[in-house]
Amino acid sequence: MSFEVNIGPQHPIHVEPIMLDLKVEGELIVDVDVDVSYLHRGIEKGFEVRTYLQGLYLAERICGICNCAHTLCYCLNVEQLLGKDVPPRAKYLRLIVEELSRMHSHLLWLGHYFHTLGFETLFMYFWRDRERVMDMLELITGNRVTTAYNTIGGVRRDITSEIEAKLRKALDYLEERMKYYEKVIDNEPTILARTQDVGILKPSEAISLGAVGPHLRASGVKHDVRLDDPYSGHDEVPFNIVTYDSCDCYARVKVRLGEVVESINMIRYALDHLPSGEYRLKIPPFFKAPEGESLARVEAPRGELVHYSISNGGTSPYRYKVRTPTLANILSVVYMLKSRDGHEVYIADVPPILGGIDPCICCTARVTIVNGVNEARKILSLNELSRLYRERRR
Amino acid sequence: MIEEVLEVLVFPGALFIIVISLFYEWVDRKLYARLQNRVGPHLAGPFGILQPFADLIKLLSKENIVPAPADRFTFTFAPIIASAATLFVCMFLPVTGLKGILSFEGDLIVVIAILSLYSIVVYLAGEGSRSRFASIGAARGALQLLGYEIPLTLTLLSLAVSARSLSIAGIVKAQVERGLWFIADQHIIGFIIFLIAAQAEMERIPFDIPEAEQEIVAGWEVEYTGTRLALFRLSEDFELFFLSGLGAALFLGGPAGPVIPGLEPLLYTVYFLIKTTFILFLFTIIRAVFARLRIDQMISFSWKWLMPFAVILIILTEVLA
Repeated sequence: MSFEVNIGPQHPIHVEPIMLDLKVEGELIVDVDVDVSYLHRGIEKGFEVRTYLQGLYLAERICGICNCAHTLCYCLNVEQLLGKDVPPRAKYLRLIVEELSRMHSHLLWLGHYFHTLGFETLFMYFWRDRERVMDMLELITGNRVTTAYNTIGGVRRDITSEIEAKLRKALDYLEERMKYYEKVIDNEPTILARTQDVGILKPSEAISLGAVGPHLRASGVKHDVRLDDPYSGHDEVPFNIVTYDSCDCYARVKVRLGEVVESINMIRYALDHLPSGEYRLKIPPFFKAPEGESLARVEAPRGELVHYSISNGGTSPYRYKVRTPTLANILSVVYMLKSRDGHEVYIADVPPILGGIDPCICCTARVTIVNGVNEARKILSLNELSRLYRERRR
Repeated sequence: MIEEVLEVLVFPGALFIIVISLFYEWVDRKLYARLQNRVGPHLAGPFGILQPFADLIKLLSKENIVPAPADRFTFTFAPIIASAATLFVCMFLPVTGLKGILSFEGDLIVVIAILSLYSIVVYLAGEGSRSRFASIGAARGALQLLGYEIPLTLTLLSLAVSARSLSIAGIVKAQVERGLWFIADQHIIGFIIFLIAAQAEMERIPFDIPEAEQEIVAGWEVEYTGTRLALFRLSEDFELFFLSGLGAALFLGGPAGPVIPGLEPLLYTVYFLIKTTFILFLFTIIRAVFARLRIDQMISFSWKWLMPFAVILIILTEVLA
């Protein structure tokens, strides 16, 4: 006998509204239906009515944790439209803050992940160490979370030697801690029991389902925008792509832990080789972008982030499109949550599997009505849309 | 007569048990918080010592909600029976002397039976609230009972075999007579099994599967509010005190220790509480260093590891006796 269990839209595991309709038989999950459309914010439309500089502040607020990646991607996009290149020092500073925010995001994720496994102690430890990264972000950018660091044509602030010394000290501390965590995670039997062979996603499946970021790299696929399409000094700063071959939740933990260590090394290198000179171009607050289109890709902490814009020569974009990593990863969650031959998924595996992609639901809600037969798309009015939504939820 | 009534109601009876259980909850929370680099309760009273009491009062003052589809009778009586049963078993603990307030030959069996009754009440509470999360939690609780109960019973019985007595008082007396705590010989295996099984009995990490917050919200107690939830919380505290005390009595010699004539009850109480707190520390440390297991992993762990060792222990005890 099977019955339905609803994880969400309000559930302690995830503060954001996502609905998983699980059809379970005892503890086994046989089917799953996912709904992420609880929080459509109309941000893409919002870009069209703002000037390019105002859009920067909107881009910052797409996601609190990946705010650095979003502003960087937005700035790259607008700079491409304008045909300007930022000074080398700004590139390095952008990279430093981007990697710091990656560390902050990964440490947050690691802590939260162990919280989902019921390991509260490790959760507290990770979040305590994350505070060091937050302090560094505050020191460099002036803000803890919404950093507002990247701007069109460069960055807002420079790094002084005093800040650099403090940053190096924090990096040493974090490197030490990461070694300790690696030891804990490799040796703790309950963690291994809960993560190994859970949520298997083979490389071919990961690619065909369009997974991105650490989630994809945990399936053993070497894919990273920083390597494929260096956008901010990544061709000069050496780094390794962390991949792991076991394709399960354990691999996802290991990849993110490894990436924190990589980020530490990248920041160290960038500090050592920081070019001198200007850190931003002078760009007026109001400007008209030349007609054309541009696309920028950034490796956000959660995966590949794509911003695309069309300009018709005005002071604001004609169309702006954002593809966030969670939108790409959510399909593979649905796939992993279904019990298949020789692969059983328990209710207790839902938090590790869903948490494994580092979901950010507030970036994810999209509406496209597609006819499944001939793939024709349709545009609906607001009234039609709300009627459709009510019918679906009934 | 009046003395006996006071003994049951005040010390070392009901009032003492309630106070010490709430105190132990504070010790548990504070130590757990310190192990995690947190401050822990620190607002109510000195060092937050009154926090569990404040929580209890707060819950008692909250609205009592009975969900419409719930079975009202089960829903109401489950917390009452659970707290009464756990308070009752605490009376068997030898606090002020070598015997508890209640003590008779065979009380070990009664204690085991009442602990199982508690688990069954929890199952009824979960099923009675007619919520999906609650019924999953209740089913997990019942499944978990199958895992830990038999090794725990075998462990306690092997102590009874060594002591040639089926009462807690008899086991304490046997340790006093031979001058060696049971933890010092082959019963160390039993002690470890006891620690693990007790963690499952109390539904604490790594075995808080029936009320796994991140998976099924709060499991069997998800629909409980107000007074009913307060009673369940209280019975969890009683259980924590009882199992720490039981461990101290059965493995660490209970209240026994060097005494000054005339001061026996006081010293016995002090020794007992020190040993109980030690066991509580072990419980808290176990809670702090593990992740939660899955229900199938828990069952296979107890049948692959706890059960064989419990059987080995009882054979070893029989051979050595």
